[in-house]
Amino acid sequence: MNRISHWVNNKVVAGTSGKSGKVFNPATGKQESEVDLANIADVDAAVASAKAAFPAWRATNLSRRAEIMFRMRELVDANRKEIANLLTLEHGKVPSDALGEVARGLENIEFACGVPAMLKGGYSEQASTGVDVYSIRQPLGVVTGITPFNFPAMVPMWMFANAIMCGNTFILKPSEKDPSASMFVADLLRQAGLPDGVYNVVHGDKVAVDRLLDHPDIAAVSFVGSTPIAKYVYETGTKNGKRV
Amino acid sequence: MLVLPDADLDMAADAAISAAYGSAGERCMAVSVVLAVDSIADDLVNKIKSKVPNIKVGAGSDPASEMGPLISREHRDKVAGYVTGAAKEGAKVVLDGTDKAKDEGFFLNPSLIDHVKPGMKCYDEEIFGPVLTVMRVKSYDEGLKAINDNQFGNGTAIFTRDGGVARQFQYDVNVGMVGINVPIPVPVSYYSFGGWKASLFGDQHMYGPEGINFYTRGKVVTSRWPDPRTSTVDLGFPHSR
Repeated sequence: MNRISHWVNNKVVAGTSGKSGKVFNPATGKQESEVDLANIADVDAAVASAKAAFPAWRATNLSRRAEIMFRMRELVDANRKEIANLLTLEHGKVPSDALGEVARGLENIEFACGVPAMLKGGYSEQASTGVDVYSIRQPLGVVTGITPFNFPAMVPMWMFANAIMCGNTFILKPSEKDPSASMFVADLLRQAGLPDGVYNVVHGDKVAVDRLLDHPDIAAVSFVGSTPIAKYVYETGTKNGKRV
Repeated sequence: MLVLPDADLDMAADAAISAAYGSAGERCMAVSVVLAVDSIADDLVNKIKSKVPNIKVGAGSDPASEMGPLISREHRDKVAGYVTGAAKEGAKVVLDGTDKAKDEGFFLNPSLIDHVKPGMKCYDEEIFGPVLTVMRVKSYDEGLKAINDNQFGNGTAIFTRDGGVARQFQYDVNVGMVGINVPIPVPVSYYSFGGWKASLFGDQHMYGPEGINFYTRGKVVTSRWPDPRTSTVDLGFPHSR
């Protein structure tokens, strides 16, 4: 049985919970993989790696960040079919639909290549005599994305591309029903030259989500999914002082 | 998706089918309800009904397949339950795709349900499967009201040839993403993705410029390079006049 584990510090890391979920091929109804489900310690290890990576990543200059994202753009483009194939195998969508998903995700990576232009601030000279006032935008720190089963490649790209280009480090908690695409993309980011710990993946269920929502080192949570869960994530995350 | 009498009905039918059954309806921007103005409703339903059986349902490994399975056995059964339940609630099941549930994989065929109304489960809840429902409305105003009364407001679309009415719709409708003769108006990456009402929590939309705002915070610096000649003590509140 194929085993899918977490991605921390640019490496596959086995879970320690002893709990796993079943990943099916929906077209055959047969189980194809077993995915590790994170416990609190697994989530904490990913957060610790993201936290450790943040100071150096934040200090990495905008040109270098953009260079990595441009390289990622080329890698995703070259691997469209491979990513689409994983979507078909685990989500079930047909290849033309899966390729469309990858294309719309790629569009977000391309947008992120231009993030330096969006991070420009404003400047007011002589607001008072001899006094200038200006604004800058700074990253938040460790941010997390919790994504749904229906777009296992595109929705994470909506989030991580902008998040890391802005200088944050990122933890993805993808759907445990179709987790392979996020692991493939993680390896592409490594190949693109993204430093260890900037992009991490933890698989899991409510245990992992709840830990991400109350972990003191996580600054912001992005979520796409159903309305009842969205309400829960929003209420829990904001109650814990996070941007959601 | 609101279809007005002056719309190209073949195009509207194609758009409704593509947007309802693509990805087996498992898109948050899938068209789940067609609001058809009475005078063209029968025509539109017949056009959809005649085209849907041509959709090839099957595994993605078969290049001919246009619609794949649902994500899990449980979800497939839940979606099938909406179709079976609709008839009991007084809607008319025009195409029943639930037979396909006997397959090994988690398949359903496309279903089409006509004459749905608010209060029915297949209208009030998000089905998230290959089920297209049709609600009949008397006019643009009644269609608009149905959209604005809905608890959700992720995406909507209007099909018409009348630019003035389309513009009125974009002005009136309480939905975050609007299509004009475009059934799945997912914004390109340099705009942002977000619904209204129960379709969004928080204040920033996803990706694009709002994504950059979300992932950064602003800092404002007030700066002076002091000239010792102008330095004084002043306990008043700083102002610039």
